[in-house]
Amino acid sequence: MNIENLRFPHYELPASLTPLREEVRAFLREELGAYRPVVRSNSWDGTDAAFSRKLGAKGWLGMTLPKAYGGHGRSALERYVVVEETLAAGAPVGYHWVADRQSGLMVARLGTEAQKQTIIPAITAGEACFAIGMSEPNSGSDLASVRSKAEKVADGWLLNGTKIWTSNAHNATHMIALFRTDSSPDAKHKGLSQFLIDMRTAKGITPRPIRDLTGRGHFNEVSFVDVLLPPDALLGKEGDGWNQVTAELAYERSGPERYLSCFVLLAELIKVLDGRASPATLAKIGAEIAWAVTLRNMSLSVAGMLNEGKDPGLQASIVKDLGCHFEQRLPGLAQELVALEPSIGDSGSDYQQVLGNLMLLAPSFSLRGGTLEILRGIIARGLGVR
Amino acid sequence: MNEAQKILDESISRLFADTVTRELLTRVEAEPWDENLWSSAMELGLPQVLVSEARDGMGGGWLEAFVVARACGRYAVPLPIVEQMLAGYLCDRADLSIPEGVVGLLPEILPAASVGVAGVRTQVRRVPWGRRADWYLGLTDAEELVLIGNDKVRLEAETNLAREPRDTVIFEGSPVLGRGRPLLPADSIRWLGALLRSAQIAGAAAAALEMSVRYTSDREQFGRKLSQFQAIQHHLAELAGQLSSVDTIVMAACVALEQRGMQGDGRHAAFEIAAAKCRASEAVEPLTRLSHQVHGAIGFTYEYDLQFLTRRLWSWRAEFGAHGEWGEYLGRVAANQGGDQIWAWLTA
Repeated sequence: MNIENLRFPHYELPASLTPLREEVRAFLREELGAYRPVVRSNSWDGTDAAFSRKLGAKGWLGMTLPKAYGGHGRSALERYVVVEETLAAGAPVGYHWVADRQSGLMVARLGTEAQKQTIIPAITAGEACFAIGMSEPNSGSDLASVRSKAEKVADGWLLNGTKIWTSNAHNATHMIALFRTDSSPDAKHKGLSQFLIDMRTAKGITPRPIRDLTGRGHFNEVSFVDVLLPPDALLGKEGDGWNQVTAELAYERSGPERYLSCFVLLAELIKVLDGRASPATLAKIGAEIAWAVTLRNMSLSVAGMLNEGKDPGLQASIVKDLGCHFEQRLPGLAQELVALEPSIGDSGSDYQQVLGNLMLLAPSFSLRGGTLEILRGIIARGLGVR
Repeated sequence: MNEAQKILDESISRLFADTVTRELLTRVEAEPWDENLWSSAMELGLPQVLVSEARDGMGGGWLEAFVVARACGRYAVPLPIVEQMLAGYLCDRADLSIPEGVVGLLPEILPAASVGVAGVRTQVRRVPWGRRADWYLGLTDAEELVLIGNDKVRLEAETNLAREPRDTVIFEGSPVLGRGRPLLPADSIRWLGALLRSAQIAGAAAAALEMSVRYTSDREQFGRKLSQFQAIQHHLAELAGQLSSVDTIVMAACVALEQRGMQGDGRHAAFEIAAAKCRASEAVEPLTRLSHQVHGAIGFTYEYDLQFLTRRLWSWRAEFGAHGEWGEYLGRVAANQGGDQIWAWLTA
């Protein structure tokens, strides 16, 4: 093991991005004034198509996508500023979230000319809502065991199977999904391919929302029954799905959303204590503030590495592991420090509603986008013991 | 790290990797000084890192200081190099020439009234290598830097858990060798000491992780290497995360100090320094627990090297303030900013 491989090089956003940050902040102050704290605590689980279109109109979606296809050709760092500001404010970014974070990049990198020309402008405008078709009822974290099939037929591809835990599939205009194109027993990783599916036109796709702990149906089971896709629905290369998905997951694990999910609660907790906290209570809040600034520095380091064309897979996994612990700790800490019960629905104060909502959402933080066990396996591999 | 910092890191590592042996670490616990090691560190110019070139120093900044302090932690160097480096910085800032010999850096604020015409009369606890000091250095509550001779000094020998000297020094009319104004707050030794101890914690944590990876990759149980057990892999992954978090925030604090200083209105390095020591001290619990856990009983023996690191981690956790104290400071910052402004504060 070389300890240098573990380092997070110090990275600071250039001062030239400050005006952009201020502009985003002012926009969000204006736009989010009417959103109650409990709504803001949904963060990227909250969908609001109208809000996404407004963000698109500001030029803050698909920022890094190529200009030739309607993207903005701006830097990943400019996008980072927009993303962390919207998350910290608890803006309802769910409608465009996946499209802006990963699907647009996938299409720009792997898509055909036609795919790029139709998809990228829609993402940039905030009109595309993407879902990620990866997990299946019998393939949770073990993606290599995916069994849903895509068969090559005379007029395209015929899809059959079931995807699960698919966030936003019921709102989605598009899905990038992983299907098995080669079922021979020794194909395994090599038998997988990705498809770009237009959810509005494809026939035979049925999303069934699955209620989660909050009582809402954010994710879905999606069945595919004899879904006929045109030949050009293939994304990237046939049989290259495993490598493509691995790269896609790296986009999922590297952003500031991996430590900011409970930031609204931290802010509400500070408010509810209102300066009357004992030294012992201040020390507990302070230790989490230390975590927040530490995680931000780690997250910036990952952004910097990406910007320099390096592969921060190990560092991103560490940030997500530490970040989800931080997020998951906060509801329990709030409960320890303040004698107010969590509430569900419209009862209770803003603080109680935020606490209740995030308490119910928190178990998902260490599951989505790679479970903490998967991440620790990646870290162990980085240490050379796996 | 830039190239110069890498070269500095490598040359320090070369020196200490060869010289700070188990024999030496064991010996200094009974007789806490190794003159050869001290001379080599002096020759390398380590105490001069933060001293300006005008005063024949290395003219380095806080990132160079970070490199030195982290290496001192990594090799469990049983010498007051960090203290000497900080003393050099303070003297340089106060435009005072730096006396020859080993400094006894005073970790408490001196009452200005204790520094009189008849010399210095006060008592300071937990002075690193106080018994070996040729001179002492402290800051008064009037923000004055005072250099004190080691005459008329009475000592009560104490140590930290790693058996590094942390002596009570009683000045009974000791001579004032110099006084000056470094233009820093009265508690600066505590702040800068906390930052450098945090860097030492990062170094010792890195060494503990390396040792843990090495040991679990060598040792076999139940017909497999320990490192092939998922439970062990997850312990190692958690160690790596804790280490990375400390390393990252300490480096960020050094950069902030370099860029913004630690006084004045608004956001400056005090925030990152407090976060660094809070995080570093808090991380000591999982770091020591997990590195001992993966080592099994051998790590709990005196003859195995892990304890040279973990006993220092437990000591350094408390020195210049533990996570409770620094957390309280940060909690107060958060309370003063208020919930609606905390994000703006973090990103300022």
